[in-house]
Amino acid sequence: MESNSSFLTEVQKVTRELTSYKIELEQTRGYLQCILQNAADMIFATDVDGILISFSKGGERVLGYSWEEVAGIPIKDFAEDPGSFERLMAACQEEGCAAGPDVRFRHKEGERVHCNVSLMDLKNREGERVCTVGICQDMTQWKKLQEDLVRVDRLAEIGRIASGVAHEINNPVAVIGEASGWAGEVIADAKGLSPEDRGELEKVVDEIHNQTKRCRNITHKLLAFARDSAPTKGEFDVHELITETISFLKPELKYTRIQLDVNFSEGSLVVNSDRRLLEQVFVNLITNAIHAVLEKGHDDRRIEIRTSKANSDVEISVKDNGVGIPEENRTKIFKLFYTTKPVGKGTGLGLPICQSIVENLGGTIAFESTVGEGTVFTIHLPVS
Amino acid sequence: MNQKPSIRVLLVDDEENLLEYLSKRLLKQGFSVKATFSGEEALGAAQEGHYDVAVVDLKMPEMDGVETQKRLKDMQPLLQCIVLTGHGSIETALESGQRDAFQYLLKPVDYDNLVTVIKQAYDKKVELQRSKFAEQLEEVHRAGLGAHGLRKAIKELREIYGIE
Repeated sequence: MESNSSFLTEVQKVTRELTSYKIELEQTRGYLQCILQNAADMIFATDVDGILISFSKGGERVLGYSWEEVAGIPIKDFAEDPGSFERLMAACQEEGCAAGPDVRFRHKEGERVHCNVSLMDLKNREGERVCTVGICQDMTQWKKLQEDLVRVDRLAEIGRIASGVAHEINNPVAVIGEASGWAGEVIADAKGLSPEDRGELEKVVDEIHNQTKRCRNITHKLLAFARDSAPTKGEFDVHELITETISFLKPELKYTRIQLDVNFSEGSLVVNSDRRLLEQVFVNLITNAIHAVLEKGHDDRRIEIRTSKANSDVEISVKDNGVGIPEENRTKIFKLFYTTKPVGKGTGLGLPICQSIVENLGGTIAFESTVGEGTVFTIHLPVS
Repeated sequence: MNQKPSIRVLLVDDEENLLEYLSKRLLKQGFSVKATFSGEEALGAAQEGHYDVAVVDLKMPEMDGVETQKRLKDMQPLLQCIVLTGHGSIETALESGQRDAFQYLLKPVDYDNLVTVIKQAYDKKVELQRSKFAEQLEEVHRAGLGAHGLRKAIKELREIYGIE
């Protein structure tokens, strides 16, 4: 009958609408799932009391806990300062949203995690708070970089101070030099000196003169290395540069009983490149070799520097018989700030910077290593 | 005149101890030395007498070596200046366009090297002096002055160029 069939039509219409709503809901849910699964950030939702009711895949990565482990626990318990996190949530309650630029959480394994937190309250149709949604960006790496930058800046400052000291020392050394020279003159003219006394005095004056020359060389080397100058493109002999670098590193090698062998190719090895930058690379590689050898502690301590020329390319290798580089670290050593040295002893900047320099000069740097036997770093450079 | 005139050296450095010994050594070796401990003092000395070579420290309080050297040369254009500098300052000095020095030497200087450079600077000065003097002498002759006028003019020139 009429009313029956219109009722049926109504029911069919409602059923169709329900189905389309269901589909839309499923799709929306699916979309949300995708976001939650994919986002690297930690995305969570808490009920009105701050207890976790949802926790994204990113959250599992950031804090190290699985959803099962955190379900039902107040989110503030994961913060290092729960009190202050509570205040943040209260602020969110007040304003509807809140931001916490550096919230510290504790990872399951104990490390501190720095997060950029953004909270937002979800309200129902009646305007009542239903839940709080939080998105947290993991900034731990960024924070580490900032700390390292501070450290590096301090090292740079020490370098500047060292230069200043070298400069200052030159003055009294100059006076000592002149005074001793004058002493030599006076002695030459002095009458009544016994031959032994005269000989002895002349020897002493000579010694003072030599030592002041030595001071001068030390300060000049340091000042030359520390000089902050613009890139210098020019022709120079790589063999000469390596020899100079070794001489600059004499204090590093002193008392280490390391045998340093130098195997240069025939004649001079002239390239058109940046001498100062290349010097930095050599200082780095040789210092690393020295440390590797010392770490091994063996009596047989050898470092070998080799050069060779092949058409338009120049090859320089620094080989040591030190501890070697373990397999798991091989990809890390060229990464900025990676270091195996204790805090304060190494910056972790050497190799990445070497790589950057060599590549900018149009060359390549590579290494081979065997744990317990040694490492060899090889640089290839174009002749011009 | 069978004895070579002694080279007149003007030393400028705020490090008094250094100049004390340097002066003594140079004097013993036959140079004529005046030690001054500031740019101002050096200019005062240049006002009073003629010098062949100046040895000027770059870093001094108040008037620095570059300015001292410039003003000395304004007063005595043929004066040859040797500038002493700590490492790294050479570039700054050259960059600022102050290339008027005869030579730049790194501190602490090697005494024997300094003496050699002083002698070289002196030779240069003598050469410049001779050619300048010859030029001006030519002009004087061409001006056609009488014998008395000539003598007077030559005497003046000698004073200007510090030739005794």
